[in-house]
Amino acid sequence: MLDLSPDWGVILTHFAPELILVIGALGLLSYDLYVRGKDGLQPWITLGVLLAAALATGWLYTMDPAEVFEGRSAGEVFRSGAFLSDSFTHFFRLMSVLTAGLVTLSGIAYMRGKTAFKGEFYAFVLFAALAMNLMAGANDLIVIALGIEFLSLVSYILTGYIREDRLSIEGGLKYFLYGSITSAAMLFGLTYLYGIAGSTSLPVIAEAVRQPENLVVTHLSTFIVPAALFLVLAGIGFKVAIAPFHQWSPDAYQGAPTPVTAFLSVGPKAAGFAVMMRLFITVFGTPELSATWLGVLGALAGLTMILGNVAALTQSDVKRMMAYSSIAQAGYMLVGIAAFGGTALMGTTPLGAVLFFILAYLFTNLGAFAVIIAVDRLTGSSSVSAFAGLSKRSPFLAIALTIFFLSLIGIPPLSGFFGKFAVFGAAVASDMFGLAVVGVLTGVVSAVYYFQIVKTMYFGDPAEGGALRPSPGVVFVVATALVMTLIIGLVPQPFIEIANQAVTALEPIAGSMVAR
Amino acid sequence: MLAAFAPLAVLAAIAIGLGLIILAFSFYIGPRDPSPVKSQTYESGMTALGPAQRRVPVRFYLIATLFILFDIEVIYLYPWAVQYRSLVAEQGWGALASMGVFIGVLVLGFVHVWRKGALDWD
Amino acid sequence: MQPFLEQISILSLITFLPLVGMVWVLFLRDDDRIKKFATWFSVIPLILSVLLWFGYDKDAGGFQYEAFFSWIPNVGINYHVGVDGFSVPLIFLTTLLTTISLWYSAGVIQTRVKEYYAFFLLLATGMLGVFISLDLFLFYVFFEIGLVPMYFLIGIWGGPRREYAAIKFFLYTLAGSVLMLLGLIAVAFNTPGDNPFTLVRGGMTSDWLTAAPIPFASDPTGALAVAAFLGFLIAMLIKVPSFPFHTWLPDAHVEAPTAGSVILAGVLLKLGTYGLVRVAMPLFPEAFQMLAVPIGFLAFTSIVYGALVAMAQWDFKKLIAYSSVNHMGYVTLGIVATVAAVNGVTPEALAADPMLAENLEAARVAALDGAALQMFTHGVITGALFLLVGLIYDTRTHERDFRELGSGLWRTVPKYGTMLMIAAFASLGLPGLAGFVSEFLVFNGAFRVGLAGNQPLLILTALSVLGILFTAAFILWKVIQMLLLGPQNERWIGTPDLTNNELAMLAPLMFFIIAFGVYPWPILEFIHGASQSLVAHMNVDANLIEVARAASAALTSLR
Repeated sequence: MLDLSPDWGVILTHFAPELILVIGALGLLSYDLYVRGKDGLQPWITLGVLLAAALATGWLYTMDPAEVFEGRSAGEVFRSGAFLSDSFTHFFRLMSVLTAGLVTLSGIAYMRGKTAFKGEFYAFVLFAALAMNLMAGANDLIVIALGIEFLSLVSYILTGYIREDRLSIEGGLKYFLYGSITSAAMLFGLTYLYGIAGSTSLPVIAEAVRQPENLVVTHLSTFIVPAALFLVLAGIGFKVAIAPFHQWSPDAYQGAPTPVTAFLSVGPKAAGFAVMMRLFITVFGTPELSATWLGVLGALAGLTMILGNVAALTQSDVKRMMAYSSIAQAGYMLVGIAAFGGTALMGTTPLGAVLFFILAYLFTNLGAFAVIIAVDRLTGSSSVSAFAGLSKRSPFLAIALTIFFLSLIGIPPLSGFFGKFAVFGAAVASDMFGLAVVGVLTGVVSAVYYFQIVKTMYFGDPAEGGALRPSPGVVFVVATALVMTLIIGLVPQPFIEIANQAVTALEPIAGSMVAR
Repeated sequence: MLAAFAPLAVLAAIAIGLGLIILAFSFYIGPRDPSPVKSQTYESGMTALGPAQRRVPVRFYLIATLFILFDIEVIYLYPWAVQYRSLVAEQGWGALASMGVFIGVLVLGFVHVWRKGALDWD
Repeated sequence: MQPFLEQISILSLITFLPLVGMVWVLFLRDDDRIKKFATWFSVIPLILSVLLWFGYDKDAGGFQYEAFFSWIPNVGINYHVGVDGFSVPLIFLTTLLTTISLWYSAGVIQTRVKEYYAFFLLLATGMLGVFISLDLFLFYVFFEIGLVPMYFLIGIWGGPRREYAAIKFFLYTLAGSVLMLLGLIAVAFNTPGDNPFTLVRGGMTSDWLTAAPIPFASDPTGALAVAAFLGFLIAMLIKVPSFPFHTWLPDAHVEAPTAGSVILAGVLLKLGTYGLVRVAMPLFPEAFQMLAVPIGFLAFTSIVYGALVAMAQWDFKKLIAYSSVNHMGYVTLGIVATVAAVNGVTPEALAADPMLAENLEAARVAALDGAALQMFTHGVITGALFLLVGLIYDTRTHERDFRELGSGLWRTVPKYGTMLMIAAFASLGLPGLAGFVSEFLVFNGAFRVGLAGNQPLLILTALSVLGILFTAAFILWKVIQMLLLGPQNERWIGTPDLTNNELAMLAPLMFFIIAFGVYPWPILEFIHGASQSLVAHMNVDANLIEVARAASAALTSLR
C-alpha cells in the first residue's frame, strides 16, 4: 500500500521532469502577465523548459536504480507507488517532450498574431506534456483518471483556442461534449475495478483479479471485469481516437489551430496507449485474463484500420484527412497490443513493436504536420487545392511531405515501414493473420488518399505563383523529422533496442511481486 | 446473493408507486376550472414583466466561476488542518511546506486572474 | 582489386552509384549539364557490369562477389548481396537500358529535367538492388524503392491519362507487395536459424552463411507454406504481369514516357519472374509444385490472350504492351515446367530406362534456361521496340496509330524501317534472332516435362504454341504489312530518317538481338550453370532419381 512516510528526496528525484514542467508552465504564465502584447520570449522559454525536462529524463534513464532508491529494492518502490518512474515512463516522457518541442517550434510563426493569449498557449503546451507524463507513469486508478482528465481539459482549450474562428470553437465544443461522455463512462468502469478489488492501486487490483475468491465483491466478477474494461477502453479509445470512439476527431482536427492538430495527432495518442498498455498488460495481462479483452481489442483494431483508411478517401481538407489517417495509424498500434500474447520476430516483442511504431510515427506525423502548418499559414487554407503545385512553390516542403506520406504508407526503407513490419510481424506471430491482412490491404487503400496530395503537389499547377518561404522553425522541424524518418528506417536497430528496453517494465504482475 | 437486495427493491417500488398514485389522484380527482387569471405566472396577482429568460451580463458568470474555483480549493485546507499534528510528527517542516506550495499556486492563479483583468467590472 | 572493394563488393558499387548520381544531380543547375552528367554517370555502372560479366567465374558457379553485413541483428536481417548466373545478365541488361534510356531522354525531356533524371537514377538503384539481393528483406526493400520513381516518371512526363495510369501502376504493385510482406514475415517465422531472411538455402553455395534450411519444414499440413507462397505469387504475377493481373500494364505503358516504357518493359517486368526464380523456387518448392498447373494455366492464358488482344490494337505502343504480356507468359511457362510434378513414372519404366530421371532433370533445366534467357532477350527486344516507337512518335510524327502512320514507312525512312524490321522479327521468334532461342528452349523443356508424366502441362504447352502463331500474325499484319510495306503515305514524306546518334543508341540492342540469336552460348553459359544448381537444389524429382538409381543398381547386379 501507499507508503505514508515517503522519502522526499526519492520522490523529488523521480518527479524531476514533471516538476520542471510544472514550474516552467507556472513561470511562463507569470512571465506572460508582465510582457502583455509584446512579441516575447515565450516559445523560447517553453523550449528551454522542455529541454530541461528532457535532460532530467535522460539523467533518470542513466541513473543506477540502487542509488536512487537508497537501499530499498526497486520492486518495492516500483510496485507500490501511485506513480512509477520506470523505463516505460521514461520512454513516454521523452515522447511527450519531443512532441511538445516539435509542435512549439513549428507553431511559432503560425500562432503569431492569431490570438491575444500568447503566453497561455505555450503554457498549455507544457501542461499537456505534463499530463502525458502523468498518464505514462500512472500506477493508480486515481492518477489514471486525473491524468486523462488533465490532458483532455488542456486539449479542449487548445482546440478552441482561436475564439475568433467559428470552426475552432465548434471543434473544441464537440471535443468537449464527446469527451465528457466518454470520461464518465471511463470513470464508471474505474469504479467497478475499485469496487471489486477494494483499492485503486493497480498492483492490488492485479493481485485481486488473480485470486477471484478474495475479491471484495465475488459474485458478478466474471462479467464485471470485462464490462469495466470495456468502459475504460471507451475512455482511452476516445483519447487515442480508435473506432468507434473517434467521431470527435475530424471536426476537432479541422477546427483546431494547425499546431494543435499536430499535437492532437501524436500526444494524446502516445499517452493513451501508454495508459492502455500499463493497465491492460500489467493488471490483466495473464493468459487467462487477457482472453477477456484481446478479442475485443483485435476487432476494434480491424474496425479502426478499415474505417480510418476508407473515410480518409473522400476528404477534401488535408487536416481532416490527416484526422482519419491518424485514426488508421492508431489501428495499427492497436494491432501490436492485440497481438501481445505472442512472441514477435527474434529479439523484439509485440509491445516493443508498438513503442517503436509510436516513435517512428511521432517524427513522421509531426514532420507532415509541420509542412501542413507552413502551407496553411502561407496560403491561408488547408484544403487539398492549397497544395497544388507545391513542388514548384517550395520543392523542399513538397519532397519532405512526399517522404512523410511514403513513410505513413509503409514504403521501405522509411521509418513507418519498419513500424508496420514490427506490428504486423507480431500479429503474424500470434496467428492473427486476418488482422495482418486487413492491415496491409488498408495500407494500400491509404496510398490512394496520401497520393491524392502528392499528385496535387507534383502534377497540379499552383493556383497562384510565387515561392513559399516556410519559417525557420518549420524548416528545422521538417528537417529533423526527415532525418529521423530516414535514420529510423535505415538504422532501426538502436531504436528497436530503446523500445524493447522500455517495455521490460511492462511484464504482467505476478502475484508474489506485489508489495503489500 | 441478489435476494439480499430484495427489501431495497420493495422500498424503491413503494416510493415510486406512491408518487405516481398521488399524481394520478390529483390529476383525475381534483377539480379543474382554468381562468386567465389562474394561468398567469404569479397567482398573487402581480403581472409578469418581460420574458421569463432574462439575460444576465456574462460578468456574473465569470465572477461566479472564479468564486467557486477558489472556494473549492479552500476546502482542502480543512483535512490538512485536522491532520496537521500527526503530519508534523511524520514529516517535520515538509507538512507546512506542502501546504505552502499549494497556497502559492493558488495565489499565482489569483494574481493571474487579477492581472488578466477578469476582476475588472467595466 | 582493392580489399575494400572486395569487402563491399563491386555489386554495391553498381547498385548505389546511381543513387550517388541522383544526389549529385540535385545540386546541378543547368539542364544540359544535368543531362550530360547523368548519362555519362550511368555509364560507370554499365562498365562495372561488363567487368562483372567477364569477372564472374562460370566454371565455379554459385554466388560470387558476395558482401555481407549485419543490418538489423535483432531481427536477423542482413545486407547480403551476391550474384549467380541468373542475375549477372539481368544486371547488365539493367545498366545498359538505363544508359540508353537516359541518352534517349536527353533529346526528348524538356520540362523539369532535374527531377526526371533524379527519379530515373533512383529507379536504377531500386532495380539493380533487387537483382543483387540475397536477403529476402533486402529484396523487398529494393522491390518497393523502384515503385515511387516510376510513379512520378509516368505521372509527370507521361501522356494524357498519366495520372490515372500512374496511380493504377502504383496501387497494383503495392497491393501485391504488401501481400509479399506478410509472406516474408511468415517465412522468417518459420525458418530456424539466425538468418531467417536469407535466400541462400541448403545446397546452394555461399561463402558467408551456413545455408538455411527450407522454411515450413516443421509445418505439418503445409497450409501455412501455401498461404505464404500465395502472397509471393500474387506479388510476382502482378509484376510480371500475368493474366488476370495485367490490366495496369497497357495503361502504364501507353502513358509512360518512352524511356519509362523501355525500363518498364525491359527491366521492371523481369522483377516478377526473377522473384519467382530467386525467391519462390528455393523457398517454396513444394507449394510451388502443388500450384504449378494453375499457374501454368495463367501463363497459357497470358500467352494466347496477350497475343490476341495485341492483334486487336491500333495503337503501336499498346500493341507492344500486350505483346509483353504474351512474351512474359513464356517465361512463366518455363518456370512452371521447372517445378511441375511428374506422375505415373513407374519403377518399372525407370528400371527399363535408367536415363529417364536424368532426362527429366535435363528437361527442367532446359525450361528454366529458356525462361531466364527469355527475360534477357525480351528486355532487349521490347526495349528496342519501345525505343523505336518513341523515335517515331516523340520527335517525328507525334502519331502512333497504325491507320494514320502506315504505310510504306520503310521507303520513307529506310534506316528506321530496317531497325524496326529486325526488332519485330525477333519479337515474333524468327530463328536466327534472340527471341527464337529462348522460346524454343521453353517449349522444348515444357514438352519434355509434360511428356514425362504431366498431362495438363502437356496440353497447356501444346495450346501455348498457338501464341507463337498469333504473335507472328499481329507482327506481320500490323507492324510489317501496315506500317513498313505498301505504298508510301503522302503525309509522312520528308520525315527525317534516324540520325547517327539515334542509330548508335539502337546499335547495342540490335547487336545482342542478332548475336545471341546466332550464338547464344556466351549468355546461356551463365544461365545454364545457375539453372542446373537450382534444379538440383530444389530436388523436385528426388525420389524419382533415387528410384532410378536403385533400379539401375538392381539391373546391374542381375547382370
